[in-house]
Amino acid sequence: MEIIFIITTLIITALLNILIKRRFVIEFFSIIASSVALFESIVVALKVSASGVYSPFVFFSVDSLGAIVMLIIACIGFIATIYSIQYLRQETAKGIIGFTRVRQYFVLLNIFLAAMFLAVTANSPIFAWISIEATTLSTAFLISFYNKPSAIEAAWKYLIINSIGLLLGFLGTLLYSTSVSSLGENGFVSWQSLMANVAHLDPLIAKIAFIFVLIGYGTKVGFAPMHTWLPDAHSKAPAPISALLSGVLLNVALVVLLRFKIITDAVVDQHFTQNLLIAFGLFSIAIATFIILNQKNYKRLLAYSSIENMGIIALGFGFGGLGILGAIMHMIYHSLVKSVLFLSAGTIFLKYSSTKISKIGGALAILPMTGIFFIIGFLVITGAPPFGIFFSKILIVSEGIKTYPIVSVLALFLMAIVFIGFFKHVSAMFFSEKSKDIKIGENSVWLIIPPAILLVIIIILSFYIPPFLSRLINDAVSHY
Amino acid sequence: MNILNLHFLLAVVFGIIIFLHITKKNFGAALSYGLQSLMIAVILFNSFFETGNVSLLFIALLIFIVKVIIAPVFFIKLIQKHELTFSVSTYLNTPLTLIIIAILTFAAHSQKFAPLTGIVPANQALLSLALASIFLSLFLVINRKGALSQIIGILSLENSIVAFTIFAGLEQSPMLQLGIIFNIFIWLVIARVFISMIYKHFGSLDITTMNNLKD
Repeated sequence: MEIIFIITTLIITALLNILIKRRFVIEFFSIIASSVALFESIVVALKVSASGVYSPFVFFSVDSLGAIVMLIIACIGFIATIYSIQYLRQETAKGIIGFTRVRQYFVLLNIFLAAMFLAVTANSPIFAWISIEATTLSTAFLISFYNKPSAIEAAWKYLIINSIGLLLGFLGTLLYSTSVSSLGENGFVSWQSLMANVAHLDPLIAKIAFIFVLIGYGTKVGFAPMHTWLPDAHSKAPAPISALLSGVLLNVALVVLLRFKIITDAVVDQHFTQNLLIAFGLFSIAIATFIILNQKNYKRLLAYSSIENMGIIALGFGFGGLGILGAIMHMIYHSLVKSVLFLSAGTIFLKYSSTKISKIGGALAILPMTGIFFIIGFLVITGAPPFGIFFSKILIVSEGIKTYPIVSVLALFLMAIVFIGFFKHVSAMFFSEKSKDIKIGENSVWLIIPPAILLVIIIILSFYIPPFLSRLINDAVSHY
Repeated sequence: MNILNLHFLLAVVFGIIIFLHITKKNFGAALSYGLQSLMIAVILFNSFFETGNVSLLFIALLIFIVKVIIAPVFFIKLIQKHELTFSVSTYLNTPLTLIIIAILTFAAHSQKFAPLTGIVPANQALLSLALASIFLSLFLVINRKGALSQIIGILSLENSIVAFTIFAGLEQSPMLQLGIIFNIFIWLVIARVFISMIYKHFGSLDITTMNNLKD
C-alpha cells in the first residue's frame, strides 16, 4: 500500500502542478509529496528490515537493496525538492527562468521521482525497464532546462545514447524470460519466477543476456565506455537535478543490473559476471581519473567523480565477499555526498554565474558555509578518514587484494590520483584570491540547510549505522 | 500464415533497414518506417489468428495506430515544417556501409549467435534475420549524422527487437506490452520536440554541427 501511495502522490502532484497557476502552491505540493515519499519509504524500509522482502501486491516487491535505494531516492528527493525552491527563486530573480519553467520543473521532478520509485519496487523486470526508460524521458527536458544550445546537445546525447542502451537492455531482459516463456503465468514474468525457473535457462543465453543487460543498464549507470552522455547531462541540468541524476539514478539502474547478476550467477560460474563488473569498474575509474586531473569545469568534475565512484562500486560487487559490503556502504555514502557537492556547486553557480573552475576565486571567503560543505564533501568523496567512504574503500580493496591483487593496487593508485586532481581543483576554487566583483555572503539560508542536513547524515552514518539499516545492509550482502 | 509468408514479412523489415541506410530523402525514410511497422503489426495479427489471443489483436491495433499512422505523420509534418527534404549524410560512404551491412548480416547468421537464433529451432532462419535487423538498426543509428535518421534508426531497432521477441516466443503480458507502447509513444513525442529544438538552435539536423560540449 505504501508503494502505491508514494507513486500516486507523486503522480497526482505532477498533474496538479500542470493546472496550478500559483508558484507557492506548486512548491508547497511538491514539498508535501516528497515528505510523504520520505515517510512511506522509511515505513517500507522498516518492514523489509523486519521481514526480508516486502511484496504487498504481485506487481511490487522490495528486497533489502531495493529498500536501501528507496531510502536514498526519498531522502535525496526530499532534500533536492527543498533546495530547488530557493534555487529556482534565485534564478527567477536573476531573470534566467520564468514561471512556466518553474512549473515544468516541478512537474518533471515529481514524475522523475515516481519513475525511480517504480524502477526499484517493480516486481517485473520489464516493468522495471519501462520505469527506467521513463526516468530518461522525464529527465530529458530537465537537462535541456535552460534551453541553451549546449544544454540541448547534452539532452539529445542523453536521449539517444540511453535509448540505444536501454533497448539493448530490453533485449537482454527478454532473453532471460526464455526460461519461463513456456510456463504460462499469463505472460507476467517476475524477478521471483525468473529465479525459480533458472534451471531452465540456457547458460549460453544467460551469458549473452547478461552482456546485453550490462551494456544496456551499464549505459545508465555510467560505466565507461558507455559513459559519454553522463558528464554532459549532469553538468547541464539544474543543480538539484544533477544531485538526483548522480546521487540517485545511477544506483537505481545498478540495482536492476545486480538483480540480473544474481540470476546469471545461478546458471553460470559467478566469475563470469564478476570479471565483467571488475573490467567495466576498473575501466570507468581509469577514464574518470585522467579526465578529473585536467578538468576545467567543476560540475563536470563532479560528474566524472560519479563515473569513478560507480566504478568503485562495480569493483566491490565484482570482488564479492566483504567487497559487497563495501560496495553497498559506498553506494549510500556516495549518493549522499555527491548530492551535497552538487547542491553546493549550485550555490557557487548562483554566486559566480559560471561553472568554470578558473572563474571561481576565493569561494571559501565569499561563500563560507557552502565552501566548508564543498571541502568536507571533497574529503568524504575522495576517501579521507574518518568518513565512511574511507572504510568502504578499505573494505573493497582489502577483499580485492586477496583475489585480484593487480586490479586492487591499480584501483588504489587511481584513487590516489583522483585525490590529487580533486585537491588541485578545490584549492584553486576555495583558497585562491577572491574575485573582487563578487559580493561576499551566502545567498540564502535555504541554500545552506539542505546540504547541511545531508552532511550531518553522512557524518552520523560514518560512525553509527542504525540497527534497521544495518539489518538491510547485511541482508543485501547475503543476497547479492 | 506459413513460414514462407512470415519470412517474406521479416525480409521486408530487413530490406527497409538497408533502404534506410542508403536513402538520401527523409520523406522516403519516414514512409518506409511506417511500412516496416506495418509488417510488425501484420506479424502480430498473424499471432492473433494462430493463437486466438484477443490481447494480441489489441496490441497489434495499438502498434498500427502508434507506429504505422502516428509516427510517420509526425515525421512528415516535421519534414514539411522545416523543409527537411534531404537527410544528412552518413559517416561512412555507401560502398563501405554496404560492406559492413554484409558483415553484420553474415555475423548474425553465424554459429557464434546460434544460442540466440536457436531459442526456437523451427524459427532459426527467422531469428537470424531478426538478429541481423537488430545489428543493422544499431549500425544505422551510429552511421547516420542526421537527428531524424537517428530517431528512425532507434525506432527501427525497437521494431527489430519486437520481431525477434515474437519469433522467439518471448511475448510479455498485454499490460506490460501496453506500457512498452505507451513508452514508445512518449519517446516519439519527446524526440520530435527535440528535433524542432535542434533545428531552431543549430539551423540543421546535422548532429556534427553540435559541438558546444567539451571536456
